[in-house]
Amino acid sequence: MMRRILGLSAITVLLLAGAVQPALAQTPQSPAGSSTPDASAVASSDAPPVAAPSSYSATSLYNLGNSYARAGKPGLAVLNYERASLLAPDDPDIEANLRYVREGAHLPVEPRSTWQRVVTVGSPTLWSLLGALGVLLLGCALLAGERYPAHRWKRRAAALVGFVLLGATAGNALVLWPTLHAAVIVTGATPVQVSPVPMGDQLFTLPEGETVTITAEHEDFVLVQTATGRKGWVAGVNLVAVVPRHAGA
Amino acid sequence: MNARFVQPVVIQRCWLVAVMATVAVMTGFWPGPARAAQQLTTATLDPQQIILGQSTTLTVTLTGSQPQQFNMPQVEGLEFGMLGQSHRVEIMNGAILTSTSLIIRVTPQTAGIFTIPGLTPQSQPLILRVSPDNGSGATGTARSSTVPGALLGAPNAEGIRMAADGAAFVKLVLPKRDVYVGESVPVEIEVGARDGFARPNGLPTLTSSEFTLNNLTRQPENYQKVIDGKPYTVFTWRSEIAAVKPGKFTLSLDVPFTVRIRTRPSRDSAIEDALGDPFLQNFFGATVQKDITVSSPSSDLAVLALPTEDQPKDFTGAVGQFSVASDISATAAAAGDPLTLRLHVTGTGNFDRVDSPMLEHVDGWKTYPPKSSFKGSEATGKGEKTFEQPVIASKPGAQTLPGLAFSYFNPTTKHYETARSAPVSVSISPSLADSSLSAPQAPTTGPTANKTPATPPPVGLRADHATESDTVNTLVPLYARPLFLAIPAALALAFVGTWLALRRSAAPRRRSQYGNSKAVNRILQDMQAASRSRDATLFFNIARSALTTSLAARWQLAPEDVTLDEVDARLGSEGAEIREILALADEANYSGHVMTSTDFQRWVQIVHDQLMEASPA
Repeated sequence: MMRRILGLSAITVLLLAGAVQPALAQTPQSPAGSSTPDASAVASSDAPPVAAPSSYSATSLYNLGNSYARAGKPGLAVLNYERASLLAPDDPDIEANLRYVREGAHLPVEPRSTWQRVVTVGSPTLWSLLGALGVLLLGCALLAGERYPAHRWKRRAAALVGFVLLGATAGNALVLWPTLHAAVIVTGATPVQVSPVPMGDQLFTLPEGETVTITAEHEDFVLVQTATGRKGWVAGVNLVAVVPRHAGA
Repeated sequence: MNARFVQPVVIQRCWLVAVMATVAVMTGFWPGPARAAQQLTTATLDPQQIILGQSTTLTVTLTGSQPQQFNMPQVEGLEFGMLGQSHRVEIMNGAILTSTSLIIRVTPQTAGIFTIPGLTPQSQPLILRVSPDNGSGATGTARSSTVPGALLGAPNAEGIRMAADGAAFVKLVLPKRDVYVGESVPVEIEVGARDGFARPNGLPTLTSSEFTLNNLTRQPENYQKVIDGKPYTVFTWRSEIAAVKPGKFTLSLDVPFTVRIRTRPSRDSAIEDALGDPFLQNFFGATVQKDITVSSPSSDLAVLALPTEDQPKDFTGAVGQFSVASDISATAAAAGDPLTLRLHVTGTGNFDRVDSPMLEHVDGWKTYPPKSSFKGSEATGKGEKTFEQPVIASKPGAQTLPGLAFSYFNPTTKHYETARSAPVSVSISPSLADSSLSAPQAPTTGPTANKTPATPPPVGLRADHATESDTVNTLVPLYARPLFLAIPAALALAFVGTWLALRRSAAPRRRSQYGNSKAVNRILQDMQAASRSRDATLFFNIARSALTTSLAARWQLAPEDVTLDEVDARLGSEGAEIREILALADEANYSGHVMTSTDFQRWVQIVHDQLMEASPA
């Protein structure tokens, strides 16, 4: 029986490694501090470069956000800071600059709670692997209980660790879930309409840099919800999703 | 109008057609002597005295074989209309006499005595007397040919002056006070039209050029009202008028109507009136359609000039009662950010004269011309006019925009008043671009080793990171990707499946253990019962039976083959207790061995241990 458990664990580890490998595929790294093509577009053109790059790094996104902030474009700056915080949620520079740009744009800034800080200590990738490890520990504890009833405390300790890892991963997902479905307004005084038609009645306007939650889409319009709970339709050209839905989005 | 009379005769009766055809045939085929030239024309008017609003009949008889061209008479104030004609053929002493009678409706447009000149030089003129309706004697004021003033009666107690035939009325309700130039004065206009007899075909218009009337809707309020037992549809407009210059003026309204006028004398229309239904009346030729204009009773209104004393410099002509308030689009902004300063003027009055230049020169601010918009009702004069002025702060810091003033003339207090709004405070921060450019670019501390350690600046953007970090192809976390989620899910399923399989494989053993434990308990209970009854023989027989059965099953022997020798051979010294129990059983059977309660408990425990040890694992 023990052989089976060990064999199953080995297969799991191999599968995890195989799945993670493509996600963590390394791309040729750009020189330190250099800007991405998006960043270079900031200085040369006023058009918002919203096309999703082929690869992301926390550093390049952070530097890109700085470039937009210096160019006086808080919307795109907030967007890149939000993206950078997904890859490095515990980076104090990203958090500080995001707060600074939001305050400069007169946007509400909500401090992160202790719970949010705890579950975002590591990157989502790390928590994903730890969550899988938690499943592995819980399973092994379950099987060992059948095979080795005498080692009760060891089994319970393994189950507890596995449960904690799994819970922390779920907490990380819970904290980042709104960001995964968020979008940033990239144009000033964006009108929010009652209906998803070009001549729809206007409800209110959103300032540039405001982060909203995407709840639905209809043709070229997106149904958004603000932090205060107000809902309305916004033209898709006025906002950019923090996590691109598809290539080129 | 005369063109109508030279048109071909309209034949309204079928018998007229038949008579005409007969006459035509007879005159066409009868020999010449029978034909007589037209000799005489006679005309009669019946009746010769009518009431205004009624019509009389003029019958013109032309004698002769051929009906000749007949020219309608033209009399000022009378309207002639052909109703039909008839032909008559008489044979007297072999001579054929033919005559044609033309029936003409005569409708007066005003009261008075009219003279219809003779239709031929030999004929006498006809006299028609037209008296005012109901003997009121009010003839109104005939102003133009399109306004038949004779149709206007005197206003009644309700201020309603009915048209002469009672088909329509117009009422203008004005405030009973003096007004000021430019002041918006609410008025109420009521236009009544008798159902089926009249309908307005245009909007009311003022007869005086000294006043302006706000636009009237083409869909006014309307309701049914019964006046003197007759149903009317009353249309109501609520609007405002404004005087353009001071003085005392007479004000009234004109409303165009389309009415149906009775064409026969009242005494001949009794049956038609009895029909009631205007459609039936029209079908039997009792009424004709006519366009008229009905005026409201005249009202006198004194218009006062606005006082020149103490008139504010910023007075723009607003008259009424107003209040003002101002706000700004954001109370905190960065230098260079456009803001919108708003001035709300609410109240009642002539909002078309409400105007404000807003702010023109404010230190530290750049101002632009304002735009205005009005929300409210022009009919009631109540509403809100909002002025929006773009302003841009050029300096950071706490800024205050001065309050805005608005001057107007209050007709209630008869004084000029100035309403002021409160100053607006705005917090202006340095512009984002400026602060970004001026932010310290010192490296910062960070948790990762690829950042240059430094003390973070208190304000401004933190510096760029120097070293590139790991790159990924997507921002979606691993746990949100289906491919990754499939692995822990499959792992959990595998664990649960294995656990269930293990539980299933161990089930028979668990069931066997459970069954054995129940049998052992039953044996022990029997032994306890025997010990309580101090029956040593029964006690040891039960013990021996249980042990031999258990050992026979373990050794795969028959229970009777489990003897003391077999126990010694297989268990040796470990089987001493079993051997002793078997020996005591024989002794109890043959010698009646007596034991204490303590001995019973000891042997019960020994049998329990032996049976549990012998049970299959």
